[in-house]
Amino acid sequence: MAVIAEPVAKPVSRFHFILDRRGVFEAILVAPAIIYVLLLVGLPLLLAVYYSLSAYTIYNPTWKFVGLANFEQILQDPTFFDTLRNTFVFTFGSQLLGLVLGKFGAFLLLRPFPGRKIVRALIILPFAVPVALATIAWQWMFDSLYSVINWTLIAAGILTREDAPNWLGNPYLAMLCIVVINAWRFFPFAIVIFLAGITAVPQDVIDAATVDGAGFWRRNYQIILPMILPIVAIGLIFGIVFTFTDLSIVFLLTMGGPGGATSVLGFAGFQTGIVSGDVAHGAAISLFMLPVLLVVVIFMLRFIRRREI
Amino acid sequence: MSTVRSLRVTRRRFLKQTGLSLAAASAPSLTGPFISKALADTKTLSIVQWSHFVPEYDKWFDQFAKDWGTKNNISVTVDHIPVGNVAARAAAEASGQSGHDIFGWNGAGGAHLYRKFLVDVTSLVEATEKKYGKVSTIGRQIGYNQDNQTWSAFPDFYINFPAMYRKSMWDEIGMKPDTWDDVRIGGAKLKAKGHPVGISLGHSNDPNTTWRGLLWSFGGALQDAEGKNVVLNSKETVEAVKFVTALYKEAMTSEVLSWDDSSNNRYLVSGIGSMIVNPISAYRTFQKANKKGADDTFVMAPPKGPVRQIMGGASEFYGIWKFAKNQEGAIEFLKYYADHWPEAFKASEGYNNPCFANLVPKPMPILSNDPTSTPSDKLAALQDSEQWSASPGYPGPSWPAVDEVYNNFIICDMMSKAATGQLSAEDSVKWAHQQSEAIFTKWHGKT
Repeated sequence: MAVIAEPVAKPVSRFHFILDRRGVFEAILVAPAIIYVLLLVGLPLLLAVYYSLSAYTIYNPTWKFVGLANFEQILQDPTFFDTLRNTFVFTFGSQLLGLVLGKFGAFLLLRPFPGRKIVRALIILPFAVPVALATIAWQWMFDSLYSVINWTLIAAGILTREDAPNWLGNPYLAMLCIVVINAWRFFPFAIVIFLAGITAVPQDVIDAATVDGAGFWRRNYQIILPMILPIVAIGLIFGIVFTFTDLSIVFLLTMGGPGGATSVLGFAGFQTGIVSGDVAHGAAISLFMLPVLLVVVIFMLRFIRRREI
Repeated sequence: MSTVRSLRVTRRRFLKQTGLSLAAASAPSLTGPFISKALADTKTLSIVQWSHFVPEYDKWFDQFAKDWGTKNNISVTVDHIPVGNVAARAAAEASGQSGHDIFGWNGAGGAHLYRKFLVDVTSLVEATEKKYGKVSTIGRQIGYNQDNQTWSAFPDFYINFPAMYRKSMWDEIGMKPDTWDDVRIGGAKLKAKGHPVGISLGHSNDPNTTWRGLLWSFGGALQDAEGKNVVLNSKETVEAVKFVTALYKEAMTSEVLSWDDSSNNRYLVSGIGSMIVNPISAYRTFQKANKKGADDTFVMAPPKGPVRQIMGGASEFYGIWKFAKNQEGAIEFLKYYADHWPEAFKASEGYNNPCFANLVPKPMPILSNDPTSTPSDKLAALQDSEQWSASPGYPGPSWPAVDEVYNNFIICDMMSKAATGQLSAEDSVKWAHQQSEAIFTKWHGKT
């Protein structure tokens, strides 16, 4: 007669009171992320809000509450509205250009060709190169005296030296330059987003559309694009938030010039709050970004929710 | 055979050697408390300043500071940061109440903005004045608080902005850019020959400094001598702006609208530019790139205006944080540094100009006789630059409102808006006046 051994009782974990309670366990796992966001995003944001309502300067670091006086003063400055307009042009212009470039880049990279892997790796470069180095390289390309773009156009006989565009000296061209540079930085990210989206579209959907007679454009714009819009919108949210708050390209390339034509909110906030030491006004300028970004993000998230399949 | 035996690893030998190794490795941690106490007894002094445009100066300064530390048993560290990062770094150190002992500021801002964070160095400045003569006008504008007659910063040096012109080109038209009118008339002739004048109208330090100089030379100014009121909207300012409009149209090209601080150096070196207004780093760059072209480039005091001959200068000064760990060491170092200032002057190739009257007795080395220049007295005019150099607040003190007008490029934009036809001279001046007055009003309530 076979003797069946008694099953050995498994020792109870010392933390069973946590592990057995799903709600508590989940909260513990999520807590570090929440604490991180509260400390590194929430707290500085609250601090910025308080700064913007105070008379705080580096000269006189006082927490005296002044209400909305800083905002009122900023709104009385006509230059501020130019800065606000510049920020919108810079953000949406570069995002639009980046998306178009990203879409075409993704299409190219989807097709097999020799050296595709190398091209894929290289195309990430604008995203990986430090902004300071990249902007200096662009600065040389747009240089008034040594611009390689102008040199090529002159050498090709398209332009004379007198007619050559003054890239960073003309207000419109200077804005175009910062838009192009930011789009250049953003488009590898857009390519990755598009690639991820397009490759996730089931092949049978595309095949069915092809069988039904849909051509290249119809397949892309009536089938693939609507299906990947949610993921593109997420990428766009990142792009808009990062660009709207960015000051690096302007700081390194134009310092807001010529004549304030490329000054954006991030740059103006930095110049006033840090360089000039008026922290309260600097914070108030920067906080003008908040409602805009909030509206954009809410709008896009609602859009994504509706589009989800 | 015996050798082999001696190298054989026995259990006893292994344990013995491992034990010794462990003991050696753990020695620092065992002796840690004693060593850290000894380290705590060793004083330190940390300095931060901009990466100088003359790299040899940085090498000299670092060694000088290190040698002083060795003599005084103080561990000295010198950090160099890009000039554009100085303001943000200072804000970070003041906000964090921690950082370097000595902070070296560059250009506008600093001493007045951070006044409450800085050690009063009045006695140090007064002692240096007794030894080396009075502080010059520009030196006084750097760190002197006229409300309570104290000093927030120790004046280190200022960078002057002389005119540099291609002699052969100007000789060809039989002129010299002695006055601003000469610059415009001669510049127009040279522009027709393909050699325009090059003075930046962009957003950077050089135009902030240069156009203030021109404004003052026409009798205009941002503020009054007390620093209380904005006086920009004046007949003199309008005249200055009208002149810049004419100068831009007749003698310059639109390239200047996009220039940064290094563009005019490149313009001179390219052989296109006939004249620039810039610190002598432009000339030094030219010497290294093309000796023949540099020999043809002459350095002179800035052009005279209808009212006076004056030009902006960039101030450099040292502040000692109140939260500095070694305030005494910082003051001792600055005293020692002042006593060796002529060495600093030589190391900077004549780029750093003294703020105290007799710190570098005349004839000054290098400037009076520069062996690298042809003729060797080419830089002689710079010896008197304290007579024609002033800080952004001129004729008043530098203070946070003046700095913010500077940081917002309002004077540059006043000139460029009129020059490019965006606004009339009168409207451009009104715009700049309103912008400046808003900044002054804001700061009057905060200082």
